[in-house]
Amino acid sequence: MKVQELILIIEDDDAISKMVSLSLHQQGYKTLVTPDIKSALRLLNANSPDLILLDLGLPDGDGKGLIKTVRSELSIPIIVVSARHEEKEVIASLDAGADDYVMKPFSIDELLARIRSAQRRFLGLQPMVNVILCHEIKLDIEHHLAWNGDELLKLTPTEFNLLKYFILHRNQVLPYARILKDVWGVGYQNEMQYLRTYINTLRKKIETDTARPSYIQTELGIGYRFICEHFDNTISLEKD
Amino acid sequence: MIFIYPYRHYVVSFLLLSMITMVSQLFRIELGLINIALIHLIPVIVMALRGNMGSTMVVTAGSVVLFDLLYVPPEYSFDVHDLTYIWSFFIFFAVGYTISAQAKRIQANTIKEIFLSTLSHDLKTPLSSILGNASLLLKDQMYDAATRREVLIQINDSGQRMNRLVANLLDSARLQDTHSALRKEWCDFEDIIGVALQEFRYNPKESQISVRIDPDLRLFWGDCALLVRLIVNLIDNALKYTDNGKQIRLSVTSDAKTIKLICFNESTPIKKADLKNMFDRFYRIDHMGDIGGSGIGLSICRDIVNAHSGVIEAYNIQNGVCFEIRFSVNKLPSERLKELQ
Repeated sequence: MKVQELILIIEDDDAISKMVSLSLHQQGYKTLVTPDIKSALRLLNANSPDLILLDLGLPDGDGKGLIKTVRSELSIPIIVVSARHEEKEVIASLDAGADDYVMKPFSIDELLARIRSAQRRFLGLQPMVNVILCHEIKLDIEHHLAWNGDELLKLTPTEFNLLKYFILHRNQVLPYARILKDVWGVGYQNEMQYLRTYINTLRKKIETDTARPSYIQTELGIGYRFICEHFDNTISLEKD
Repeated sequence: MIFIYPYRHYVVSFLLLSMITMVSQLFRIELGLINIALIHLIPVIVMALRGNMGSTMVVTAGSVVLFDLLYVPPEYSFDVHDLTYIWSFFIFFAVGYTISAQAKRIQANTIKEIFLSTLSHDLKTPLSSILGNASLLLKDQMYDAATRREVLIQINDSGQRMNRLVANLLDSARLQDTHSALRKEWCDFEDIIGVALQEFRYNPKESQISVRIDPDLRLFWGDCALLVRLIVNLIDNALKYTDNGKQIRLSVTSDAKTIKLICFNESTPIKKADLKNMFDRFYRIDHMGDIGGSGIGLSICRDIVNAHSGVIEAYNIQNGVCFEIRFSVNKLPSERLKELQ
């Protein structure tokens, strides 16, 4: 029998923690609820949770310290929960090592999707492959080629690298500065206009409706997320 | 009448000044200089009570000039031989300033009262829907699945509405503060419209919205989060007044100096007076009945547009209503982008 996974919920609002643990129980998770960071640290030592859900607005202070402690000792996903207008805190938490975030008010479906996707990423590194399929988009990393359905995409080197970066970090929230640093290089972290421009041109090439994008989602004030629910890296490239 | 409306204070000032001049000229001998001076205070006080500092100062200056020119000896000249009259000029200004400052304070309190009452109405309506529907579900009576779902949809809708209202209030507070609170960065309107549309993804009328964006639209230097709220409020408003099956069209176009955003929805035309006033805080178009909107949505649109030095206006066209926003482009993104090799 599969062992039930344990989720540590650090949240000081009873109504929210009850609702969240109720829905997680329904999904077959076990939960542990604690209202502050001090007791959370104690619980972390006594139990070994498989995932942490951390509210950023706790009364006893700074969640980032906790994230750093967890990161240095354990290899488990951390998802932060934040209120609107706290984008800076979210980015700081992501930089400190949190894996994802949800913003209040969030729906349970949204939270469950984040939890599953964070867990999938932690299951282990993907084997290095050269061809990746994500919905309709097929990427041949070795030959620098990309298709949308049957159509070969004409991408500039930057667009290709950006798309490759997104697909390799699919479903993950990617803060602006991180994308800029990883795709363009150190020193480009603040060149937002590069990112906005290339996202715009890339969307025109891969999205059916650019105003209702299905791949590149904007996470307002934080970054982008490449949605890829049907993912396949086992396909072989047909020779044409 | 609509063109005069912004200058109404000045029109009233002019009429008042003409009236007192007529009276003073007619009864000049009977009244004497002191009473004429007191009469010249009337326009100052009347204008000051309206709480508009600009027109008060203009009317004060007008009053003082007229008094000096026509009645203070030597007449028909600006020479003043007796220094006590200089003091009366200062007194005129002091009176005008004090009264209009007080009037402004009182007006602010009235606005606060309207604000609180509207707010409590707009918060209580969805709240009572949530509480009422939740208590229905809490009762042990078994409803069938379809009814339960209907009740839950109601709760969800009301929750969304409250969420939008709270977001608007937070933005409104941020905008009232100062303009320095804007967090400007390069924004892509396509991106912004995409995020705004996300908010309506569960709305059955969402598919009635079509979007057209100029393919070579440049980036705009603005507060992206606020621009999203602008579009959300425009769409929210359009959805409220558009029947099922009718169209809503969003378009963004640009030329060298401006970016133009139009939100069109098919509906009955709006009355002329309403077109002008609906951006005022808590203005509701009464004949539309209670569509459950708050008067705050469009006024926030106006605040957001103003904060970006833009212009917002509404007008009727053949089969619907257009909201047009024009931003002037003051800062251009650099043309050269680093292309990776």
